[in-house]
Amino acid sequence: MAKTSNYVPQDSPLDRMDPRAKIYAIFCLGIAAIIFPYYQFSYLIVIGLFIAAGIAKLLKKFTKFMLAFAIPILIMLIFIQGFYSPKNVTIIADCGFAKLGLEGVEYALKIVGSLLVFLGSFYLMTTTTYTGRLVAALVDSGMNMKVGYLVLACLNVVPQMQRRMLIIQEAQAARGVDTQGTFFSRLKAYIPLLGPVVMSSFTDAQERGMTLETRGFGVKNVKPTTFVEAKKRTSDRVVQILLVVFLVATIAATVFLKFA
Amino acid sequence: MKIELKELRHVYPTGEEALKGISTVIEGTEPVAIIGQNGAGKTTLVKHFNGILRPSSGDVLLNGESIKTRSTAQWSKLVGYVFQNPDDQLFLDSVKREMEFGPRQVGMPEDKIAQRLKVISELCGLQDKLDMHPFDLTSTEKKFCTVASVVMMDPEVVIFDEPTCGQDVRGNERLSKIVQSLKDAGKLCITISHDMKFVVNNFERAIVLYKGKILLDGKMKDVFAQPDELSKTFVSPPPITRVAIGAELGETAFTIPEFMKAFDAKRGAAKHE
Repeated sequence: MAKTSNYVPQDSPLDRMDPRAKIYAIFCLGIAAIIFPYYQFSYLIVIGLFIAAGIAKLLKKFTKFMLAFAIPILIMLIFIQGFYSPKNVTIIADCGFAKLGLEGVEYALKIVGSLLVFLGSFYLMTTTTYTGRLVAALVDSGMNMKVGYLVLACLNVVPQMQRRMLIIQEAQAARGVDTQGTFFSRLKAYIPLLGPVVMSSFTDAQERGMTLETRGFGVKNVKPTTFVEAKKRTSDRVVQILLVVFLVATIAATVFLKFA
Repeated sequence: MKIELKELRHVYPTGEEALKGISTVIEGTEPVAIIGQNGAGKTTLVKHFNGILRPSSGDVLLNGESIKTRSTAQWSKLVGYVFQNPDDQLFLDSVKREMEFGPRQVGMPEDKIAQRLKVISELCGLQDKLDMHPFDLTSTEKKFCTVASVVMMDPEVVIFDEPTCGQDVRGNERLSKIVQSLKDAGKLCITISHDMKFVVNNFERAIVLYKGKILLDGKMKDVFAQPDELSKTFVSPPPITRVAIGAELGETAFTIPEFMKAFDAKRGAAKHE
């Protein structure tokens, strides 16, 4: 079957959770991490995300993804902000060519922490959510069905084009176009591929649209049912409420810390 | 031209073992048909003949040289491959340029290209459509355009993947002509097809695949004399052959004259008894 996203089907509580609750999680946790003044807070959330990944049986993949992103960007930001931030007052280390400031380092940690919360929760959502179900959930929440299809089609078109690209590349190689070799020869081989890939995905899209019409996609005055069910369970509602409460509490705590 | 398969296995990245050890030799110019049910490994097998796919284990030798030594583009001079779906292959803005593209890639001299263009466009029924855009051709013409663009390169081996798919009677007749002319020119033609009538009338040898293995391999008549084996891979002989088998004529007939001859022989034998 075609791989349309990085979704990994698995039996876990996170997989069963309603996609809307997961979208709530991305925003509530992410915003909370940004607004709260202490950077340690976002790392607590990140630890929470690791626990969630463990529950979703994705700990290994998740760790790999997070480290691959976090380490390089953390080093880069600590270097820039730590050595050269104008806010630096407290010096924690002297490297000779520049002095490492505490404020800059904290700032770098804060940015990376917030980014990790957003990225981590987004990654968890996409790996535990079947795209079809996500769209079904959004349509169930009142999104127009056509917009829903558009979202799905966009998400599907990339892997589909990649697959086609591969086949066309093979076909070109069979006609004597060398798709390996130096950068320049590969680039040269790439250009003729673009035409058929783009053209055929246009015709594909048109054909799929017509097929959908023949199956009654555009029928009016009828309430359509969906093949993929998107029902919120009580547990999903509880999770959503908890997330909102968490966000509100964080906002309250931030305000309190600022003015008290 | 000689293609030697040595315990060829292919495992896709998904873990699916498409070929489970195939060993055979394809030699000379007698056209070979590869048949079998969907998913038997036919396309996977022929994609090894010009190195589009690489063996997971075992080897493919072209004139004694391992397929692994060169890239597909380098093999393309020797082995032409017509893909199943023309839309994957055509990308230029006229039939003529489509036909000239491959030969230029392999460095064929211009005068030879011009001369072949004339012969092959006629063979493929495209002589009046050379200036058309390939996307404006009908689907059968498109198929012939891909056939022409590969035959133009003058390879020693030509592989057709499902050329009969969607063809009408005249298309099939034209394909027969192409297969015959390739044979006359001393080329080896290997074809995947589900159209048994086309297969028995144009090919001398059949390789029947079943779940990644060779089920039967030999002369067309010998292969089709074993309907029980064939039915394993959901291949059923052409109607006239089935009638001949049903009537226990003892001879594999592919055409009506052959059938009548066998029938008369049998009746003659019966009279003598």
